[in-house]
Amino acid sequence: MADATASLRRKLWNPEARLAYVLIAPTAIFLVAFMFYPILYVFVMSFFRTNKLSDLVRFVGLANFIDRFHDQEFWWAALRSLIWTGSGVAVKFLVGMTIAVLLNVNYRGRKAARMAFIIPWASSVPISALLWQWVYHPEFGLLNHTLKISGLWTNPPGWLGAGFSAFVACMWVDIWVGIPFFALVFLAGMQAIPHELYESAHMDGAGGIRSFFSITLAGLRELILISTLLSAIWTFNDFNVIFILTRAGPANSTNILITSVYMNAFVDLRFDWAAVQSVITFLILTVVSVVYARFYFRQENI
Amino acid sequence: MRWQNRARWLAIPLTVVILLVLLFPFFVMISTMLKTGKDVYTSPPIWIPTHIEWSNFAAVWTQYDLASYFLASLIIALGATVLNTLLCVPAAYAIARLRFPGRKVSMYLLLMIEMFSPVIVIISLFKVVARFGLLDSYVALIVLDALFTVAFNTWMMNGYFRTIPKDIEEAAMIDGCTRVQTMTRIMLPIAVPGLVTVMIYAFIFAWNEFLFALTFISSKAKMPLTIALYNFVGRWTTQWQYLTMAAFLALIPVLILFYIIEKRLVAGLAGGAVKG
Repeated sequence: MADATASLRRKLWNPEARLAYVLIAPTAIFLVAFMFYPILYVFVMSFFRTNKLSDLVRFVGLANFIDRFHDQEFWWAALRSLIWTGSGVAVKFLVGMTIAVLLNVNYRGRKAARMAFIIPWASSVPISALLWQWVYHPEFGLLNHTLKISGLWTNPPGWLGAGFSAFVACMWVDIWVGIPFFALVFLAGMQAIPHELYESAHMDGAGGIRSFFSITLAGLRELILISTLLSAIWTFNDFNVIFILTRAGPANSTNILITSVYMNAFVDLRFDWAAVQSVITFLILTVVSVVYARFYFRQENI
Repeated sequence: MRWQNRARWLAIPLTVVILLVLLFPFFVMISTMLKTGKDVYTSPPIWIPTHIEWSNFAAVWTQYDLASYFLASLIIALGATVLNTLLCVPAAYAIARLRFPGRKVSMYLLLMIEMFSPVIVIISLFKVVARFGLLDSYVALIVLDALFTVAFNTWMMNGYFRTIPKDIEEAAMIDGCTRVQTMTRIMLPIAVPGLVTVMIYAFIFAWNEFLFALTFISSKAKMPLTIALYNFVGRWTTQWQYLTMAAFLALIPVLILFYIIEKRLVAGLAGGAVKG
């Protein structure tokens, strides 16, 4: 018994472990104060009625959750989040993959093209969103003007002014930011696939499309999984684009889960509702990130 | 290599078309930033200004106080970079090189925190920041910006330390260096590329940060660029020629920095399947 405790002590408290704790302590303290404690507090808050200053007034159990579940707007926001994330990631993936394939072809100016493709990702999202606001301007914006004079779309919508088109317009900006990530990751993955594989497939009479599916996509499998999960989380979390372009309007039509947290709190001053939305969003994110972490560790082998 | 030629025929025009679409807002930015106010608000709009208004460049500094916002962004981003580096480098070393109980758990936690959205905790952060008396201060933004990249950067730095062969360290320790000495004199100098990457990443994150600045900064003198430009829109008629000029100037530093770390960033995000 004494031996067991002594060996446990040695395991937890030897010079090497001690040094590790000292090195990690500053980060840990900051994380506890500004991340773990706030999460805990949000959980606590979700069981209380709050006043307009976000003070806890009285314990109400699950009443806030029941309130939210009875509110149609909550379900609409959840549905929008689902569509926003699902179709957003799908488009990012497809366009990103296309760009990666294009950049994997050898031609002069490929490096320059690669650099140009990165710009939407490299730019500051809030600033890009502001630029898009001007691009989308119904009367003086160059998007609709260009669509009209080129004959591509003679009667384009007013974009941010109406519900559905605003949702599409916001989604496009989020997609636009997220495309280069996929393109770069896939390109890097493609360049790691040995060239001999393609040559021998070619000898065996496999066409370009066949080798794309059986060599390229097969070789990228792990990468596709990891990058898709990562992109899904980012897309789901995109607050800036929506807030800057429409402030979740008009009439809530661009309100998704993540923006409704902010709107509940700082516009409606319903901090308890915001806490409920935070808790739900947190749980969703946790599930996805556990999956991500598992896949990451599996391929990294640590 | 006939298929290579055929592929090129297809790839180049397609690349050009996609680029035209993706870079559209930047063409609009460049077209607008040198227009006169009259050209900005003509209907139908025009791509080529009737008159190039070079004075817009001066106007954003003199009339709109751009320097003050740049300075605020710079203070916040540099502060966050320093704090972030001080936190993540020792933690990363511990995780990469030392054996201690809880090592695996902390790696899992790091990877999960990386996914975390600040929006979820914004309501309780507001209380924490208020409690510390840090509302409307640079310190609040510096701490929060540093913290929300600390997980990713510890992760990246850990990857760097791991690539350094253990023999180098062991040799140094046999020569009588202590752990801490090998860390600061042997490991850090070798890990400089990694250090540069995490520092730039922290800087970019803070430079682009929007939510914390929106929530915690109220006085005009302390506003960083993102919030200043956001507030600039929508009051009466926005003077888009100035806004696009300011946006252009605000983007230059992050674009340059992003190009430096882009490859290592992709490798860090996608894990072992991509080499940095």
